[in-house]
Amino acid sequence: MGPFDPSSAAAAAAAAAAASSSSSSSCSGGSAPKRHHHHHHHHPPPDLDGLLAGAGYKVRSSELHHVAQRLERLETALVNSAAHIPHLASDAVHYNPSDLASWVDSMLSELPSSSFSSPCLPSGFPDPYSPAAAALGGGWVDHPSCSPHPQPHQNVVVPQQPQPQQQQQLTVVTALEEDSGIQLVHALMTCAESVQRGDASLAGSLVEEMRALLTRVDTSRGIGKVAGYFIDALGRRMLGLGSAPASAFENEVLYHHFYEACPYLKFAHFTANQAILEAFDGHDCVHVIDFNLMHGLQWPALIQALALRPRGPPLLRLTGIGPPSPDGRDALREIGLRLAELARSVNVRFAFRGVAASRLEDVKPWMLQVSPKEAVAVNSIMQLHRLLGSDPPRDPPIGSVLPWIRSLNPKIMTVAEQEANHNRPGFLDRFTEALYYYSTLFDSLEAACPVQPDKALAEMYLQREICNIVGCEGAARVERHEPLDRWRARLGRAGFRPLHLGSNAFKQASMLLTLFSTEGYSVEENEGCLTLCWHSRPLIAASAWQAAPTVVNSPAGVINHDDNNNQL
Amino acid sequence: MAGSDEVNVNESKSVVPLNTYVLISNFKLAYNLLRRPDGTFNRELDDFLDRKVPANAIPVNGVFSFDHVDRTTGLLNRVYLAAPENEARWGIIDLDKPLSTTEVVPVIIFFHGGSFTHSTASTAIYDTLCRRFVNICKVAVVSVNYRRSPEYRYPCAYDDGWAALKWVKSRPWLQSGKDSKVYVYLAGDSSGGNIVHHVAVQAADAGVEVLGNILLHALFGGQKRTESEMRLDGKYFVRVPDRDWYWRAFLPEGEDRDHPACNPFGPRGRSLEGLKFPKSLVVVAGLDLLQDWQLAYAEGLAKYGHEVKLLHLKEATIGFYFLPNNDHFYRLMEEINEFVHSNC
Repeated sequence: MGPFDPSSAAAAAAAAAAASSSSSSSCSGGSAPKRHHHHHHHHPPPDLDGLLAGAGYKVRSSELHHVAQRLERLETALVNSAAHIPHLASDAVHYNPSDLASWVDSMLSELPSSSFSSPCLPSGFPDPYSPAAAALGGGWVDHPSCSPHPQPHQNVVVPQQPQPQQQQQLTVVTALEEDSGIQLVHALMTCAESVQRGDASLAGSLVEEMRALLTRVDTSRGIGKVAGYFIDALGRRMLGLGSAPASAFENEVLYHHFYEACPYLKFAHFTANQAILEAFDGHDCVHVIDFNLMHGLQWPALIQALALRPRGPPLLRLTGIGPPSPDGRDALREIGLRLAELARSVNVRFAFRGVAASRLEDVKPWMLQVSPKEAVAVNSIMQLHRLLGSDPPRDPPIGSVLPWIRSLNPKIMTVAEQEANHNRPGFLDRFTEALYYYSTLFDSLEAACPVQPDKALAEMYLQREICNIVGCEGAARVERHEPLDRWRARLGRAGFRPLHLGSNAFKQASMLLTLFSTEGYSVEENEGCLTLCWHSRPLIAASAWQAAPTVVNSPAGVINHDDNNNQL
Repeated sequence: MAGSDEVNVNESKSVVPLNTYVLISNFKLAYNLLRRPDGTFNRELDDFLDRKVPANAIPVNGVFSFDHVDRTTGLLNRVYLAAPENEARWGIIDLDKPLSTTEVVPVIIFFHGGSFTHSTASTAIYDTLCRRFVNICKVAVVSVNYRRSPEYRYPCAYDDGWAALKWVKSRPWLQSGKDSKVYVYLAGDSSGGNIVHHVAVQAADAGVEVLGNILLHALFGGQKRTESEMRLDGKYFVRVPDRDWYWRAFLPEGEDRDHPACNPFGPRGRSLEGLKFPKSLVVVAGLDLLQDWQLAYAEGLAKYGHEVKLLHLKEATIGFYFLPNNDHFYRLMEEINEFVHSNC
């Protein structure tokens, strides 16, 4: 038998899966298998047309008729005057194409109102399968389209459920075709299974076996390299070592090289800056709160863009949060001074404040000195996920941080996160996802970045993350990446609503990518968010949020806390 | 007879379910915004509007998928396979054993539609369709992310199809049956159907075995205007001038629609007599304005002595197979099922 015995591993895994608690996965299937309990964490509204959902469009069944009419109206308008087409194509900004109803309405609203005939009788969409409705004339008899069409072919099994939000998991397979590469992956999985099961001795011996396998594989690239990191991380876990401790300085150096080596951070910064710029439009006092200042690489571009505003730049305050510096330096202040110098050179009034905190959860809102007159942007690049872990019985700090962010009433909160589910409670699930995710990430580094030492240090940056995901638990495990769906649900529950990133941001992010001459990167639109993909696998997701209006009923009427909303 | 100046009344809403109408009207509308009269294409907006899904190594409804990228060319193929029965193996992509050692598991190489210009292998409607093929027809599917026009004209899509065919044929993990070979069928809708034909010709010329071609309202055309084009222009989602635009974007500059890529059995076409060409399932939608070309294609195959089954769905519009909410969808799946399993 090879390094693993499929039947015994399978039996063991099945036993382990039955014993372990249901994982909070967002994938779904027909009959829920034991290992992946299919609980939706983000239930779509129940009356969405299931078939259109499978095509990527979210339309309520009850709205279908309305959307159809609007589509027809839009078509008529464009047929009547094709001159509108260039405007809709080039000037109009499109948002969230999945929400067809909104998209069509926004297209219609872009056209002069003389373009269409006045709203009148229903355009009569008869149901070819329901003659009675046609006989009634006009309205469509609502029959939920996700219920099966009466069909004579009862023996054909077709998935009828709405296509669920699928787990973001795929692998770029090229390297796996080598025999030893495949063996490595299988061994890694088996080892992870045994870790989950608590079989330390088997896990330990598998780690040894895998180290031996590694000698027969090219570890300078591909699956060999990635497997090496995961084997190391497993080894560290077995020894109870967790991640290697790192100084803030080391972190900064690795971060900087990761920034240079590949477009992920640049994409996040760029997209966030676009959204912030738009949100600050019309405001003369603006305040950006950066949850992880590092070298402030994100901000020169924003400062310069603000300098170029047609009506002149605002007063810009930047509050940068970062770890305290050792040995008497004030690293935050140094960055602030450099940014101030830049701002001065482009005539932007600028004030900087550093907030030193080793953990984001140690920051209190009063430290940020937000003034009610300023427009606030909260900027979190790969920081929110760090708040999801805790040592029981304490609760994860996200529960206290999101409310205080919301209490600042930010005009916008820009969020960038790894698009991966590395926070699943089951170790094997987490391990598998991470293996696929980092394989893709390393693949992109190899293909797209030949420059040293950026590449090697960027890989170390990622290796740290792998070690943390695989080797740590509790509060020490800070790399708790979660995919967009879960952030949407979480931020929604915390009182935020999405600000959709539109086609202009998409286009500019795509243009940014062309600066990286390697084919393989692409930007994709995901229901108002933008993701950066490597060969169609989303790796980083950028999104924007604002505080959802809270409405308080008082005897005097309705008080609306959203100053931008004219609901009163 | 309606001339090209008259606009036929849109009658599509009376013949398709409402959600199909919404889906295809939306495409039509969006695509109208993207084609520019000067022949250029708004690729950024097309990418933005396209609804895509990533591959998923965890089975959903019994099917899992993964992407393979050719390092040297960047060509991406998305592979769809039935979920392993053993749930403990879910998420692990086994490439070290064949699909089966006892049964034949046909592999359908699928070329998505989009008039050579729109859509990708990741596009949701096609990802969903390929998954349905796996479930309903008990096959493996490889969806080819071929290069699109106008950025990449003829013959790029065909080259990519040919590369994909060779790749599929050489994968040990796509083999099946007692004689351990890869049982390949080519399938495609719209431009994908056109690609099927041309890749099959190339395969036949090279002696590479393809067991069957499935063409779903394939994109063929020619300089002359056929009766169906004139009669149905604008009535069921499609207009003739739009078709012309896509040919101008795909064919070499300055070429006309009698180019053999567009009109394989036309005045500049080639005889397939005596060629070891696969059997064909030619699916024609009765409300597709291109049906005369597709019917002529089927007749042409027969004339050259090749086996062809014509499935003429008289009341179907284009895209009837995107949503399983009509009889035509189920009829199609039955026919495909029979077509790919009748050899073994």
